[in-house]
Amino acid sequence: MKKVVSVSLGSSKRDHKVIANMAGQEFEISRLGTDGDYGRALSMIGELDGNVDAIGLGGIDVYLYVGKTRYAINDGLKLMQAAKKTPVVDGSGLKNTLERETVYYLRKNTGLLPSGCKVLMVSAVDRFGMAEALIELGCDVTFGDLIFTTGIPYPIKSVVELADIARKILPEMVKMPFHMLYPTGAKQDSQDEDKVQKFGHYYHESEVIAGDYHLVKRYMPGGLNGQLVITNTTTREDLLFLKNRGVGVLVTTTPELEGRSFGTNVMEAVMLVLLGKAWEDIKPEDYLALIDRLNMKPRVLEL
Amino acid sequence: MATHGEITESLQAFHKSYQENERLKLMNKDWNRTVLVIANDLESAHTLALKEGEMSFQEGRQGDPDLTVISDSDTLADMFFGDITPIEPYLNGTLKIIGSEDDITRLDFITLLIWGE
Repeated sequence: MKKVVSVSLGSSKRDHKVIANMAGQEFEISRLGTDGDYGRALSMIGELDGNVDAIGLGGIDVYLYVGKTRYAINDGLKLMQAAKKTPVVDGSGLKNTLERETVYYLRKNTGLLPSGCKVLMVSAVDRFGMAEALIELGCDVTFGDLIFTTGIPYPIKSVVELADIARKILPEMVKMPFHMLYPTGAKQDSQDEDKVQKFGHYYHESEVIAGDYHLVKRYMPGGLNGQLVITNTTTREDLLFLKNRGVGVLVTTTPELEGRSFGTNVMEAVMLVLLGKAWEDIKPEDYLALIDRLNMKPRVLEL
Repeated sequence: MATHGEITESLQAFHKSYQENERLKLMNKDWNRTVLVIANDLESAHTLALKEGEMSFQEGRQGDPDLTVISDSDTLADMFFGDITPIEPYLNGTLKIIGSEDDITRLDFITLLIWGE
């Protein structure tokens, strides 16, 4: 049995363990949250190093891709480098491929993503593949990176402007402590009420809300009217939360394992083991072939 | 060590670049803040005020600051001239910013959008 562990800066309330068979290989997949404790995540990775087959990093990104440029978040990179023997992945490679494919799948196989539909991406620099695919298919997309991360009420409306702003700010912002850029630990269990009040209208004005689940949740107002949410990691409690807020349909890009969808970092770690390649040698085609072999399709759930 | 006059010049350059950037003015329409800039190695204070997207700037202390930016005169002049970004001195403790975390992040963003390339 192969062992994959996701070490997350997120809440330990979401810890979970499953046994799953992937392409004929048994996996024990577990998730260990550190409640935002960066030092604990570092030592946990050190302890796991050499004792498991792959480690996923959750609740933090290491690499952000904007077009062909890759930016490395310093705090994430340090975590990745804490393991010397076991490969560590953050899900960014798979995310770029899988989430783009999810958008194509929804257009081809469902009526959920018609051309011209209004989409709010709460954050796009962490999932540029999805952003590009939505624009490519003619959706009317609002990128909320400045709105929700910095509180600047400026909706970005094109990939070109997103890339322009990213080029100016990301080389320096990636040096900042991660907790200043993204909700970690206890913040993941609460909402930012000020921003919900101030910016909740962007949710109401959209037909589709897409992006990282913790960001989607943190700023989501009540009284939605059947919107579609496209995200990755959700638990049973999250489904209830979304339903109570008025979300109509949930699409998760990663498959369901025992009632929850795991993060892309977990799936990327599993794929790394199955492919038997070094992370830097894996190409999008490798992920696509494996996605096909595993018959991985987005989960579409009416709430 | 930079002089008070050099800090003033750097803030004039910062102010001019901000005022010429229509996108930044639009972004900050809702952000009314007073920012006090103080050197800790000489007698020097300046006040930047943001109101409905427009930035004004005066020598000395004016009003109650929402954010206070404190550093040595060289760092302040280099930063507002755009020779260095605020991130590095902020992380190594040379630059101190007193205010809410959201406001600090936003001020960093403004600086990077003015000078970042």
